[in-house]
Amino acid sequence: MRVGWLLLLAAAVGASRLPGQTIHPAVAASVVTARVRIEQLGEAFQFSGAAFGAEGTVSLGRVELGLSYLQGRLDPDTGSAPARDLVEGSVLLGVRPVEWLTLSAGPHARAYATNGQTQRWVYWELRLRAAKPFIGTAVRGYAELWRAVAADANVPEPFDHAQGGEAGMIVRLARAPFECRVAYRIDHAVLGGGSRLETADGVVIGVGLSWR
Amino acid sequence: MRRPLAWLGVLGCVLGATPGNAAAQSADSLIVTGMRAYKNLEFDAATLLLRRGVVQLTAANAPVARRAKGLVYLGAAELFRGRRDSAVAVFRRLVVLDPRYRPDQLVFPPEVTNVFEAVRLRTKTVAIVVPRDTVIPVQDGAFRARLVASSFQTVNVTLLYENGTSFRPLYFGPIGDSLEVQWDGRDAAGQPVPVDRLLLRVASRAPTGELASMVQLPLDLKVNRPDTLPWPHAPADSALRPERAASGPATRALLGGLLLSAAVVSLPVAVGSHDTPSGPRVAVASAVGVATALGYLLHRSGRPLPANIRANDAVREEWRARVAAVQAENARRLADVRLRVHAGDPAVIEAAGP
Repeated sequence: MRVGWLLLLAAAVGASRLPGQTIHPAVAASVVTARVRIEQLGEAFQFSGAAFGAEGTVSLGRVELGLSYLQGRLDPDTGSAPARDLVEGSVLLGVRPVEWLTLSAGPHARAYATNGQTQRWVYWELRLRAAKPFIGTAVRGYAELWRAVAADANVPEPFDHAQGGEAGMIVRLARAPFECRVAYRIDHAVLGGGSRLETADGVVIGVGLSWR
Repeated sequence: MRRPLAWLGVLGCVLGATPGNAAAQSADSLIVTGMRAYKNLEFDAATLLLRRGVVQLTAANAPVARRAKGLVYLGAAELFRGRRDSAVAVFRRLVVLDPRYRPDQLVFPPEVTNVFEAVRLRTKTVAIVVPRDTVIPVQDGAFRARLVASSFQTVNVTLLYENGTSFRPLYFGPIGDSLEVQWDGRDAAGQPVPVDRLLLRVASRAPTGELASMVQLPLDLKVNRPDTLPWPHAPADSALRPERAASGPATRALLGGLLLSAAVVSLPVAVGSHDTPSGPRVAVASAVGVATALGYLLHRSGRPLPANIRANDAVREEWRARVAAVQAENARRLADVRLRVHAGDPAVIEAAGP
């Protein structure tokens, strides 16, 4: 984890200041068709539901700070497991060494609440995101991968590793700050030497305002 | 006592007027001394002084008024010396020099003015009065010369080539006191003047039809044609936007969409999950595919680009407007051809007198 933070710090310090740089804010709201699959000791449990979230980004030159929050309810698809509430949030500090590439790091927390019990997951992530317009300037495609460099979860199994990603497109019409997003996201955690696998994925549909 | 003194003055003036100090010896002082001798009734001395003064003024091409003043006193002195023929010759010379000249009747007695008037009426000559330099528009301008006659006569005004052949007749007919003749700067066929030098000749004729005298004025001509403006260059290709879409954006949309769809579909594998339902991925990949197809169609190669076409039309229209302005300005300049006329010194050619 220290290595990741050092890399991020070095990139932030090394990033040259752009001339006439100003603060560019962006906000978005999204709905996620979330699905969580847990495989534990040969048994599989699957939950799905809709979650709603909001996120914001502030960028200054090559540095940006992103915040996100997501909340929803997941119902069991199979078995008799009780429904659970999903709450998720992250704080990521990033730099853009080149225009189309963003390197970021920060905590990513997720909680499942069931019958008064809360299962908490905290990942310290290192993310790599590439984004570039591919249909004129109106449609920008992006792909993001992250890996947890450290994690803390109140589950019995010891944490092995976790990684995830997101890919999709952002449509921005004309010169208005309004934009739409459709993407697919997934994260996959391995605990206890593979005795427990947790996979969360979903389709993200969002709208936002971005001032560039 | 006064007579010897006058002769001493004459002697001094005549001896002093050697070529070496001719400049110092003013012709005007000779005239003044001659006039003083005339007033003292020393007509012989006056004649000598005035003749010499007139010769010097003529040689120095002095103004007509100064020469005329010397001549009228000289003629009067000759008359009072009893040399009427000489007086008539001097007065005739005076009339030819300046047909407008009249002796002052308060200074000269009727004997003198009557003889002068008789000479003037007999002498048929004109003076040509023109500005030294004249610039006339060839399109609608005219060069004007004013003829001043010594007495009523018939004149023939002609423009000649340098070799004496006729270029264009301007006037033939009677003239009383004065007459203005005009020339439009063209030849008889209405074409611009083809040479750079002409002669304006005025031939005076006696009532009998005989040629009495001719005055000839050289005219140096120069046609000033203004420069025209160069035409504006047509807009360079670099100043115009492409009016048809290139293949780059369409290719980029196609490749980018395929790459993004592949990324969406293969994302679970990339994160190590091998048992993930494909429905959501395929849905997102399909959305990307639809956008890609739409983008490809919108950016297909060869598609007209209306915004660029409009911008190029504006650039070309602005160029056409500049060309039209230059054409109008050049047409105005081409029509504004001017003829510069520089008049030389007139030469008088007298016919053999009676």
